[in-house]
Amino acid sequence: MADDAPLKLYHAFVDQDPAAAISVIEQARASGVTQAHLFDALFVPSMGLLGGAWASGEIDEVAFTQAAVVAEQVTSFVTPPSASADTGVVVLIGCMHKDHHAVGKNVAAAALKEAGHRVLDLGVDVRPEEFLEKVEETSARLVVVCAELLSTAREAGRVRDMLTSAGHTDVVILVSGGPFDADPELAKSAGANGIVHGAESALRLVARVADDRAGRAEA
Amino acid sequence: MSADRSQQVALAEGLARQEQVGPAVEACYAALRLDASQPHAHALLAELMLAGDFYDEAIAAATRAIELDPDCAPAYLALGLAYDRRGGMWDQSILVWHELAEVVPDLVTAHVQLGEAFSLAAFDEEAIESWRRALELDPAEARAMYNLAVAALKREGVPTALPGFRKAGELDPSQDELFFDLADIGPLPRKLPDPAKVADDRDSRLHAAGVLARAEDYFGAAELVRAQLDASPDDADALALSAYMYLKQEAGNEAMACAVRAVMVDRTSVTGMYALGVAYAKRPGLNRHAARVFSALAAAVPEHPMPHVLLAESMMGLQRYSQAKAAYRHAVELDPACVRARFGLAAVLLTENRHAEAAWEIRRAAYYDTRRQGLFWELYDEYVEGGE
Repeated sequence: MADDAPLKLYHAFVDQDPAAAISVIEQARASGVTQAHLFDALFVPSMGLLGGAWASGEIDEVAFTQAAVVAEQVTSFVTPPSASADTGVVVLIGCMHKDHHAVGKNVAAAALKEAGHRVLDLGVDVRPEEFLEKVEETSARLVVVCAELLSTAREAGRVRDMLTSAGHTDVVILVSGGPFDADPELAKSAGANGIVHGAESALRLVARVADDRAGRAEA
Repeated sequence: MSADRSQQVALAEGLARQEQVGPAVEACYAALRLDASQPHAHALLAELMLAGDFYDEAIAAATRAIELDPDCAPAYLALGLAYDRRGGMWDQSILVWHELAEVVPDLVTAHVQLGEAFSLAAFDEEAIESWRRALELDPAEARAMYNLAVAALKREGVPTALPGFRKAGELDPSQDELFFDLADIGPLPRKLPDPAKVADDRDSRLHAAGVLARAEDYFGAAELVRAQLDASPDDADALALSAYMYLKQEAGNEAMACAVRAVMVDRTSVTGMYALGVAYAKRPGLNRHAARVFSALAAAVPEHPMPHVLLAESMMGLQRYSQAKAAYRHAVELDPACVRARFGLAAVLLTENRHAEAAWEIRRAAYYDTRRQGLFWELYDEYVEGGE
């Protein structure tokens, strides 16, 4: 990126010329500055120049405000991507049949979505056969089964049984909920591959599963 | 009704206002031995028992006050708080807050508390309705906004809830207090400075501008800041104050320009860091930038809880929930009455499926918030003066 690029962007702001501003940004991008770095490398220094020009009286209040409007118009060109890139990992998540405790599921699903995973939220009160149906429909290889009641947690093994009987032995099942936190043996007996202890744990476990699969695919 | 205060109750009141709980309780009992039919004395006793964490005794005293006078608003407040803090009595709690909202319909806190009681009893729709009612009565009611953010978190996760937490934080006076603490601007004086009469030196100008900004007289403040920048365009404090005022007027880019300039001029400017961090935090996609700035601010003023809260919120945006929790916990350690940190901590605990602990943090926030507002005394004074 040319050294005077921030100055050029600043001038485009002050001249109220969004096209020129976008052109400066595109030139910086073409010179190899990544989207993640455009903001720091280009936008922030030009905003510093703008602030300095206003403070010194070089531009008046009206020009400052108009320049800020142009800056607003081009912000989306320089802002780092707010959503994570699509990982391609499909995750099925749902609460067990007769279980309507959705908070843990909702929070984990939102976190996984934000991390770029393709989350299919089956909702609450999901029968084991519905998990199987959706696995077959989507080719998902990762299922998160949520259960907050001891009675429904004990039934989580039926999801594994259903998948195994249909030949889906490679599907990774993660379980989530208070009963599994309290008694990890319950997860083992349900044939789960891991226990999700909340959103951060879901992110970690799903990333690990995705990495394992990617590693196996490369090998 | 208007209640006459006996000398003994007045003594108990005086002691209670000085937070001398033990002697105040003794004075209350003495007053009640003389005349057990004084509802305000029972209400006062309930408040004192609550302060000492004797919930059953508080419930008994408040209930007696209400039996003696069903319009005894301070007793409803004490009773509701006692039920909430005792836990497991949500049905009773809902009834009490509902009653208080009827006795004092424009009491915003009653609606906020009613919502929290509904939420704990799993009546989510009713809870949201109560918080919305509180916001109708007072659009700046931060605790209702925090609760709505927590409700959004439960339904749609952190990404949807986080803007709500930040919005609530802006309503919460503690964030502005941080800026003015950093700028060394104390509480508002009785008489605001006249910009035309401020002495012609840097410190006088900036102090007066800070006072006017605190009083939300942004025209007066801007005039003084302009004078200072005309004299010294590279004054980081003046730039940071400008950035703060632009932020308050929702002019995000102007704020960012001034804040960036302030930090470029002086990398140690804490007011500049604050304004820059807030400007970044307001924009989607800049959580990493906000976290970097708030981290520097927290390191620069480690004893202040609010930079840790702001850092925690940015960490939430980055899905670094453990780090967010550590920052929130640190803020709560620094100031157990920090409502924003308590709600934030509750949010992180919800991401860990730790619902009971989250509810506890929200209850503590309620306790400190009502104390901060001096709500009991407000209701009590209105009641004994007969002006309810």
